[in-house]
Amino acid sequence: MLYFNIIRSFSLDPLSVFFLAVIALVCLPSAIYSTSYLKGHYSAKKIILGWIGLSAFVFSMMLVVTANNAFCFIIVWELMSLVSYFLVIFDSEHEKSVQAGIIYIVMTHIGTAFIIGAILVMYKYALSFDFAALKQACALMPPRIKDLTFILLLIGFGTKAGIVPLHIWLPYAHPQAPSHISSLMSGVMIKTAIYGIIRFAIMILGINSAWWGSVILVIAAISCLVGVIYALMEHDIKKLLAYHSVENIGIILLGVGASMLFVKLNLPVLAVFAMVAGLYHLVNHAIFKGLLFLCAGSVYKATGKRDIEKFGGLIKTMPWTAGAFLIGSMAISALPPLNGFVSEWLTLQAFFLGMLSSPVGIKIFMGILAAILALTGGLAAACFVKAFGITFLAMPRSKYAADAKEVPFSMKFAMVFLSILTVVFGLGSSVIIKLLTRVSADVFAIDAKAMNFTLNNFVLCPKQAGGIYLSTPIIALALFLFMGVTILALYLILGKAKRRTGRTWDCGYYKLDSRTEYTATAFSKPFRIAFDFFLLPYRKTEKIRESFYHIKSFKYETHTTSVFKIYIYEPVVKLILRTATALKKMQPGSIHLYIAYIFITILALIIFMNKF
Amino acid sequence: MSMGIFLSAVLLMAFSMVTSKRLNALIRAFSAQSFFLFLITVFFAVREKSLELCVVAVLLFAIKVITIPHLLFRIVKKIKTDEGAGLIVNPTLSLFIAMFLAYLAYLFTGRLLPLQDRMQEAAFVIALAVTLIGLFLMVFRMKAIAQIIGLLVMENGLFLIASAVSGGMPFFVEIAIFFDIFVCVIILGMFVYKINKVFTHIDVNKLRELRG
Repeated sequence: MLYFNIIRSFSLDPLSVFFLAVIALVCLPSAIYSTSYLKGHYSAKKIILGWIGLSAFVFSMMLVVTANNAFCFIIVWELMSLVSYFLVIFDSEHEKSVQAGIIYIVMTHIGTAFIIGAILVMYKYALSFDFAALKQACALMPPRIKDLTFILLLIGFGTKAGIVPLHIWLPYAHPQAPSHISSLMSGVMIKTAIYGIIRFAIMILGINSAWWGSVILVIAAISCLVGVIYALMEHDIKKLLAYHSVENIGIILLGVGASMLFVKLNLPVLAVFAMVAGLYHLVNHAIFKGLLFLCAGSVYKATGKRDIEKFGGLIKTMPWTAGAFLIGSMAISALPPLNGFVSEWLTLQAFFLGMLSSPVGIKIFMGILAAILALTGGLAAACFVKAFGITFLAMPRSKYAADAKEVPFSMKFAMVFLSILTVVFGLGSSVIIKLLTRVSADVFAIDAKAMNFTLNNFVLCPKQAGGIYLSTPIIALALFLFMGVTILALYLILGKAKRRTGRTWDCGYYKLDSRTEYTATAFSKPFRIAFDFFLLPYRKTEKIRESFYHIKSFKYETHTTSVFKIYIYEPVVKLILRTATALKKMQPGSIHLYIAYIFITILALIIFMNKF
Repeated sequence: MSMGIFLSAVLLMAFSMVTSKRLNALIRAFSAQSFFLFLITVFFAVREKSLELCVVAVLLFAIKVITIPHLLFRIVKKIKTDEGAGLIVNPTLSLFIAMFLAYLAYLFTGRLLPLQDRMQEAAFVIALAVTLIGLFLMVFRMKAIAQIIGLLVMENGLFLIASAVSGGMPFFVEIAIFFDIFVCVIILGMFVYKINKVFTHIDVNKLRELRG
């Protein structure tokens, strides 16, 4: 029964192929990037280890998305988790990496436990681990059990995906890994959890009731907002990006959840469309998040710091990195005509079209979700104005930033490659949507040949004929034309630009230096105030006075309370530790006592046996 | 009839181990118990006319009756520890507890396996009692050598259970167990020797460093 044909345990279908493509798209530049990134940072032995880890990581991810047997799936899933754990603690000499690794491995194992639970429930009905057999058996499963399995799957994969409130490990683990690994973890690894949800919840289990989609939508909306708000408050560039992963997983799940809801509302065309939006954002996020992490890695390599308050002025010394980061920022902030815009726009469209053809309650729900998505996009843009502006513009804020040098060719190459992909996926959206339609039609086993999903002539349902038009090439053309005309007009009116150098007006202070520049903390203050009900900011001030009128020094600190950590995780951890401390008394080190435990257990069993 | 005598002797030797205060007495009692076990095995071998059981019996005699006690005596002599086995409960109380354990074994056997043959039932009861007494020795004696003997006594009990219920384990398993026990005693002996060298005592009660 437990004999497996290894080759037959892995197979390809459209969904697997799509994920393989995503993995390959991000892994290739990351691998090229790592050749220079690892050099100089690490010893030769460590570099070899890094390569082995990277290959094993990529390989395990590829196996995860191609397994067609739940048993093999669990094994390769666990392999992926373990390999990524070792990559998180790659800088094992840093205390922080080891701590991040512990948080990561604990959370990921909790997730795996839930996944195993779900698979065992399904196995009980199928008596086989094969996906096809599981699918058949799940059709006959009682609805209660189906709901239970879905919740187990959601928690299990949600932990890996980093949905709120299971995201706690993400901002620790992703930044601590070497940057090319961060780009893979954030860009690809958390997407395997989305794969898991699509594969197990939608394709194998089959959507049971409409609330499944609603639950995913609510969680996704919360993840979007929480992720982006935390990202706004964050000044560690890699942590900031990690929080944006939480946000973007939310956006992807908005698409996936909407499609699950539409299936139950009996709107197959919209279901396919929403899934296309979700998958499109998935590949887009893989590309631009990979790009942004690589840029962050370049900045880290050049300065040795991750705190953006220490950067500044890097655009002059690192123009390539700055350009790539700018493109990535524009994409993640959903600015047209780049790829992030297309997928977020599609998701919004899915909500709007859903509102047109669904009952009132769902209309309102969709409206709120669309509003949240729009708000998220705006906040993300604000966040990246901060990240780009503070990092690359103005004057260097520390000597690390002043001494920064542009990174070597292979790192530049990887960044430029991904930047080009960002643009290509924006401009070539109509082709990609066609491809993704095939994937998402396969997910729902719907024949999509009749559906016409070209963007220029986007006819969704007959009754909404001629509803939506979007063409990113035309937008791009319009943008460039508009900018060109403006510049030309300015040139004609004002004549040739003259270069003048002068002091910034400083209210007569005459001593402006980089310390007087706008900081990231200051930039994010309005948001800190706007969301203070959630962030619970507090500050500490410390004045040293010589007299009442003369303050010699003034110290000002501001912090935000991490709500999830304090109100959810810490009580749980405390409870576990308290139990463990209580149990520790059982273990005083006496060998006699230990043997006595065995003795007492045997006696108890004998006496207990006598009762029957 | 002789079978009954041997079985009683095995139990009696277990009781004598529980009451013995000195290590040498403990080892001698173990040796005697193993000897009676050997006689039981020979009895079985003759009754069943099995060559394999004969080999097992010979091995039992060579290892448990002669070699292991000899090794243990040597360790006791070498480490020059004081003779006492380090009793946590005194001999009288120990004897009462041992008797209680035997009674418990009897109760348990009655409920667990309704064995037809009275002799088989007695063998099972005694085997279980001996196993429990071995465990008791491990818990309530301080010296590390007493722990080794406790383990060996438990093994004797298990051997007897196997013979009583199914006429012995498969031949190769039996041989492997003998080999295991032998190696185990050698390793444990070396450990005791080392412990004595490092800590200048073999008092398990005082080895409390390893804890959570």
